[in-house]
Amino acid sequence: MSAIPDAKNPGWAARLPLTGKVGLGLVIFWIATAIAGPWLAPYDPGAFAHQDVFAGIGAAHWLGSDYLGRDVLSRVLSGARYSVGLAAAAAIAASTTGTGMALLAAVSPRWLDEVLSRFMDTLISIPSKIFSLVLVAAVGSSLPLLFLIATLIYIPGAYRIARSQAVNLAQMDYVQVARTRGEGAAYIAIREILPNMIHPMLADFGLRFVFIVLLLSGLSFLGLGVQPPDADLGSLVRENISGLGEGAPAILVPALAIATLTVGVNLLIDALPRRRGSKEG
Amino acid sequence: MSAASPATGQSGTTFLLTLIVRRLASGLLTLFLVALVVFIVSGLLPGDAAQEMLGQSATPEAVAALRQQMGLDQPASIRFVRWLAGLLGGDPGFSMVANMPVADIIASRLPNSLILAGLSTLVAVPMALTIGIASALRQGGRLDRALNTATLSMVAVPEFLIATIAVLIFAVELRWLPSIALVPASGTFLDLLRALAMPVLSLSVIVVAQMARMTRAAIIAQLGLPYVEMARLKGVAPARLVLVHVLPNAIAPIVNAMALSLSYLLGGAVIVETIFNYPGLASLMVNAVTSRDMPLLQACAMIFCGAYLLLVLVADIVAILANPRLRNR
Amino acid sequence: MGLSRRTLLTAGMAASALPLLPAWAQPSPLRVPQPRYGGRIRVAAMSSSTADTTDPAKGALSTDYIRHHMLYSGLTEYGVDLRPRLALAETIESRDQIHWRVKLRPGIRFHDGKLLHAEDVVYSLMRHQNPAIGSKVRPIASQLAEARATGPLDLTITLTGPNVDLPSMLAASHFLIIAAGTTDFSRPNGTGPYRIKSFVPGVSTIVTRNDDFWKPGKPYLDEIELIGIPDEVSRVNALLSRDVHLIVAVNPRSMRRIKESGTHDLLETSSGLYTNLIMRRDGGITGNPDFVLGMKYLFDRELVKRALFRGSAQIANDHPIPPFHPFYRADLPQRAFDLDRAKYHFAKAGVGRSPLSIYASPAAEGSVDMGSVLQEYGARAGLNLAVNRVPADGYWSTHWMKHPLSFGNTNPRPTADLVFSLFYKSTAAWNETGWKNERFDQLLLEARATADDSLRGQMYGEMQEIVRDQGGTAIPVFINMTDGYDNRLKGLYPVPVGGLMGYAFAEHVWWED
Repeated sequence: MSAIPDAKNPGWAARLPLTGKVGLGLVIFWIATAIAGPWLAPYDPGAFAHQDVFAGIGAAHWLGSDYLGRDVLSRVLSGARYSVGLAAAAAIAASTTGTGMALLAAVSPRWLDEVLSRFMDTLISIPSKIFSLVLVAAVGSSLPLLFLIATLIYIPGAYRIARSQAVNLAQMDYVQVARTRGEGAAYIAIREILPNMIHPMLADFGLRFVFIVLLLSGLSFLGLGVQPPDADLGSLVRENISGLGEGAPAILVPALAIATLTVGVNLLIDALPRRRGSKEG
Repeated sequence: MSAASPATGQSGTTFLLTLIVRRLASGLLTLFLVALVVFIVSGLLPGDAAQEMLGQSATPEAVAALRQQMGLDQPASIRFVRWLAGLLGGDPGFSMVANMPVADIIASRLPNSLILAGLSTLVAVPMALTIGIASALRQGGRLDRALNTATLSMVAVPEFLIATIAVLIFAVELRWLPSIALVPASGTFLDLLRALAMPVLSLSVIVVAQMARMTRAAIIAQLGLPYVEMARLKGVAPARLVLVHVLPNAIAPIVNAMALSLSYLLGGAVIVETIFNYPGLASLMVNAVTSRDMPLLQACAMIFCGAYLLLVLVADIVAILANPRLRNR
Repeated sequence: MGLSRRTLLTAGMAASALPLLPAWAQPSPLRVPQPRYGGRIRVAAMSSSTADTTDPAKGALSTDYIRHHMLYSGLTEYGVDLRPRLALAETIESRDQIHWRVKLRPGIRFHDGKLLHAEDVVYSLMRHQNPAIGSKVRPIASQLAEARATGPLDLTITLTGPNVDLPSMLAASHFLIIAAGTTDFSRPNGTGPYRIKSFVPGVSTIVTRNDDFWKPGKPYLDEIELIGIPDEVSRVNALLSRDVHLIVAVNPRSMRRIKESGTHDLLETSSGLYTNLIMRRDGGITGNPDFVLGMKYLFDRELVKRALFRGSAQIANDHPIPPFHPFYRADLPQRAFDLDRAKYHFAKAGVGRSPLSIYASPAAEGSVDMGSVLQEYGARAGLNLAVNRVPADGYWSTHWMKHPLSFGNTNPRPTADLVFSLFYKSTAAWNETGWKNERFDQLLLEARATADDSLRGQMYGEMQEIVRDQGGTAIPVFINMTDGYDNRLKGLYPVPVGGLMGYAFAEHVWWED
């Protein structure tokens, strides 16, 4: 997470509350898994390594086998990078773009604000899953395209939240003071408004990250998403759904992985120390 | 929330009326943009309605004949203008795939979606407010942390997994509830509630987290302000303090988050509709996409966009009514 | 058979079971106690959408076929042995396989009370040629040159060329008989076992018992509700929770749950359904015979059968005739997985390391996983395959047969002639691999005009060998069609043209509570 505000401050991690430490631990664990996973995987994630499908936990296959008899541990290890990497990249892109455009709208003339807002309303009012279904069907689902689609779909939401923050802050006395001081729009946006909306935007980023991880799994529900034989964590849950009735690790492990990853990110963000009187809402 | 023009001195009613008229005007523009975007993007999709209808059995002659019959041999721009003209005249067109007027198809599905979304709202909103307020009052405490982790975990599980687990437990094992949301025409209100219990539950789980988190954040932001301190010193009871003093001031971001979440209940319900086989609008729209049924797709997009705009407008009005100071922004 | 073709087609069709008994009186393979009357069941098919139709010509999905068999009857129908039986027709006969005389059973009434007339049959058969109807069987129906009523119950059908299999062809749900002049299908009017009660496309079809059904004693149920549950897991759950009583297309991975429930069972139908790898003749390396052979050796058929279909499939031999088919050639050696031979052929074909894309889609059942299998084994044989999964919608129009490597999916066809004519004849619109084999084309036409079954068997046998050795298609397995049902539902048995007794279960089943 590149956007941790006080990262340069030594010892900040030690001062985190317990939930924050748990979150930090989970985030570090998943980043490490995303990077090292493919090398740690005991089997090729596409190999039909097990005679049985939906096998349970065992010595040769620690987390059992999936619906085709492939090794679950290997598939989770190599699938993590899609959920962590792709979803985090798209969430960061969506949040920064959305925030940037919101700042622009807050300090720009009315007409530009109006144009941006109408455009965002247009995008946001098309149901996201269906919109992404159409986009993926239209342009394909290679990794760069999935990244672009997920980003495009979540920019308007970030923009909406950020804009309501930025417009509020733009009315604040200290911003008015800066304005009368003759500061430029860019200075006001970046030095006066942005620092005060970082925290709510981080919280929003956390949820947006969750949504993108789930969007990928939702896409796999509709038969789209990362190309086989690779699969992101959400697709792993989906492709093994028939194992739910027998409680197969093939479905429980990826579901648990998603939960720990997304909850970890949000716990960490919630626990981050705040800057001067941030105005949430 | 789109900032309304500064209206100091105007009466509240005039102000609201101006707001509504302005929103209606910009709403029409947004609807037009949505129609245009949907039209352009869906034009990129491989295949058209004639090819999809014939599927594997398509031969060039059969496709050509069907295209002509469906009017797909006309240029796209002409089809769009015709459709738009029809819509302005109150006719959303004819679904070539279903061989039925679009209005009839929508009329049979829209009530289902509204019932599902309505019931989910009734469950999710009070739940979200309760969770949000309770954790705000116990900010940093054990209850807060527990509720926070619980809502996060709820949103962190793919919805099809939640729904499928619910079906396995309540329908397959216990046989308390039907596994598919089929309401017989002769069904009573109780049948309806039973059939919709699991879909409503699954949808609520998804939207509660975001609303609860926003409620918590908005209330915490207010609790630090001087007027709350003042009220507290005057001895106002905590419950009364939150409900009467804090909530009206925190209402704007809360209702806005709710508007977003509730619009999700209509268009985002596609997976829940699929799993419970519920004939709602979202799965209808997916249907329209996969069969390349453009008039139907456009009609669905218009409805979802309209519902979204309406929800946002209602959110703004509620915010203004609850906190008249917002008028001056 | 020493009988002339004329006798074969009148007595012969009944002779395959009991002579002189009408079709409906044949014993079913399961000896069952006396059926009971009454009861209402709910049936869940695979999908339903706004494209659902009550027009038999437009039937696209199993849901449509089921609906059409409830509402309408055909001139003929399929039996358990894949041979046609007489239904609305009392006799169908021909001397030259070109001119056919059909005599209808007298006194059959449509749901609105109208008597069945030869003109109804003429109308039902000839409308497929009209492109505006959008018939799914137009390419097959183009063999019908003319149909003419010669009396209230008599008609003649003239074909464009000889075809022994006409009676089989007419048993398909698309050729079910509607009333002459019907253009509006909102109140479907047929001669089938059930009448329409309500029909909401994409939601449900409810039918009630037709008391005047022409088969004495049938049907048994009072009412059937047909719905679509596209999601397989939801469909199985709905069955196990007793919300529905019969479901189609059970995924092999759900079979264990159903079998172990104690309250539900499986109806497994061996069928000619297959998903095949299409290697285009005009696709560069995929047109190289050595590459094609290499791919055929690369298919680990046992693994596909075991892992993808949990054993619920039959190993195939790269041609489209399934082992249970009357014309299956048993002495043709079975091709098996052989990595060394695959490597040998790939080396001979000169495959490089440049990636080859295989297009797969949920539209072709199992193709995405088959692609993964090929990719995995291909890597061991020095082949760089990349699976490109694309959405089901748009697959048939934009990807199928359009890339050097793609997957196809072929539904069971009742006759060898149909599957060969539709997918392997050089001039066929769906000549998937774009191949051309003159000997094959010649045999196809000869077999159509041959009335003698053993001679035809030899011809079809040679064609199987040609497709297996020279065709550009790799067929790993024939996929069983598996339906799930509530134990209280009785009278089901497999008919190999499709799931749910060839989709015609409605008139045969009864309910015992």
